[in-house]
Amino acid sequence: MGRFIARRLGLGLLTIFVTTIAVTLLIHIVPGDPVRIMYAQSQGTTDADIAAIRHRLGLDRGVFVQYGLFVGRLAQGDLGRTVRGDQPVLPLILDRLPNTLLLAAAAMVIALVLGIGAGFVSAWREGSLVDTGLMTTAIGGVAIPQFWLGLMLMLVFGVRLAWLPVGGTGLPNLVLPALTLGLGNAAIVARMCRAAMLDTMRQEFARAARARGLPKFLVMTRHVLRPGLVPVATMMGMQFAYMMGGAIVVENIFSWNGIGRLAISAIFERDYPLIQGFILVFATSVVVVSLLIDLLQLALDPRLRRQ
Amino acid sequence: MSAAVEIVAAPPREAPWIARLLRAPGGAIGAALILLLLFSALFGDALVPYSPTRMAAGRPLLAPSLAHLFGTDEFGRDEFSRVLAGARLTLMVGLVAVGLSFSAGLIVAMLAVLARGWRGAAVMRLMDVLFSFTDTLIALACVAVLGASLQNAVLAVGIAAIPFYARTAHAAALVERGKPYCEAAAVAGAGPLRLALRHLLPNIMPVMIVVATMGVSTAILATAALSFLGLGAQPPMPEWGLMLAGARSYMERAPWLMLFPGLAIALTVLGFNLLGDALRDAIDPGRRGR
Repeated sequence: MGRFIARRLGLGLLTIFVTTIAVTLLIHIVPGDPVRIMYAQSQGTTDADIAAIRHRLGLDRGVFVQYGLFVGRLAQGDLGRTVRGDQPVLPLILDRLPNTLLLAAAAMVIALVLGIGAGFVSAWREGSLVDTGLMTTAIGGVAIPQFWLGLMLMLVFGVRLAWLPVGGTGLPNLVLPALTLGLGNAAIVARMCRAAMLDTMRQEFARAARARGLPKFLVMTRHVLRPGLVPVATMMGMQFAYMMGGAIVVENIFSWNGIGRLAISAIFERDYPLIQGFILVFATSVVVVSLLIDLLQLALDPRLRRQ
Repeated sequence: MSAAVEIVAAPPREAPWIARLLRAPGGAIGAALILLLLFSALFGDALVPYSPTRMAAGRPLLAPSLAHLFGTDEFGRDEFSRVLAGARLTLMVGLVAVGLSFSAGLIVAMLAVLARGWRGAAVMRLMDVLFSFTDTLIALACVAVLGASLQNAVLAVGIAAIPFYARTAHAAALVERGKPYCEAAAVAGAGPLRLALRHLLPNIMPVMIVVATMGVSTAILATAALSFLGLGAQPPMPEWGLMLAGARSYMERAPWLMLFPGLAIALTVLGFNLLGDALRDAIDPGRRGR
């Protein structure tokens, strides 16, 4: 168990370390002069301004010095200032981060509840019309692009029926984006869950329980459900990372005020300090949440603790 | 012991994999969808009633009719012609992006297997790290560096998927590396290069082809998402993601503009997914019916 945690922690720290390097190098691989590109949209920028900005960003020094400066400032919680609006980057991002985490978490709950539910029913009624129907829906669900599903949900529930708000940030506004993000992943969870449960049902302990005359439903809820959920739990960390990635697109559809929306406008405006900050915060959140989920898995599965 | 010979019925001959593939309903539907895409990509130009970029082919925002099967968009362009023209772009996007990540991933994995010891381990740890960034973040970072265009989006999506292919190929190669035939080859004097190219590579190919088939749909989805956000294809390209972004503003007046490009993406992705699933079952009979 100690080794498991140490390994995950090590990989997480390594990820953040590599991110800091990647983020420092990012600006150097931009074809052309990054400072001129950044300020291409601002009028009346003189050569002296450009030189001053280059100095402020540390671009006039060697790469190693820049990296040292970057890490030094990072240690003090300083990620620089945005090109547009000259605001400190870190508070701007941290202000939005809870919204993105909330969206991803809500979508995760939807994916797990619907996915496990559908997977369970499908496995319970294996080979029936219900099973075929659910699994066909799941195969279709995986293929539907999130941004299209989002638009369709918006059209039906936001515009035509006008049941839910189509944009903005708040609790009723959360429903449509969370569904958009959650439904596709529910399909993935459902397929995984069904396969795992059918596998578990073929094992001897489950067959013995059936042979003792226990009804199938009871065998499934009492004996098969928990071991059948292990692969789902193993995938949860990665699923969350995908939710965070998907959130970037979904936030932009529904004007949800998270870091994804901030990131896309930063990319459009070529606001490199903000882009760097976004990448660092995004990667760190994914690392931290995945680590928490892995720990949760230890709590759920006693076999992992014994290793 | 009696002289009676035990007669064993010859096992029924397995049908060739292509027949098994097409006999599965998923495989047949998937193959049909891909053929439809291929057909539209190859002969789309000859079939479309209007040029996909011709403005005012009809009045703007016409509802679907016989003259304009999928209606017209805000510039009066024929939506059916645009969706059909998008097939070629989409097919190219999927093949180029997967071609890039597939070959780069294979090379990385083979190098890691060849350079056993700490160098190989370091390469794969780096891949683990990149993988945990998620492909979305890598793709966005690439676009942020390169600038927004369809070529850059394809490049970004291709680069972003390299860690996935490298990890899959590496895992498969390690399994093969432990099998007796590989040991036999090594004992017979095969050097590491020969071992990798003549023995490991051909044996991990079936797995990799299945993964790549499904990877085409991931790449198509990711590129369409970038175009939808405005970071990929630029107007007036008939790219499905970009068309959806444009259709957003006319959601109430012309909902059909949102229907057809989305349906086209979904069916294409479905096609590659079904085909990949069926390929896996056809190649690995142990998994059949799961």
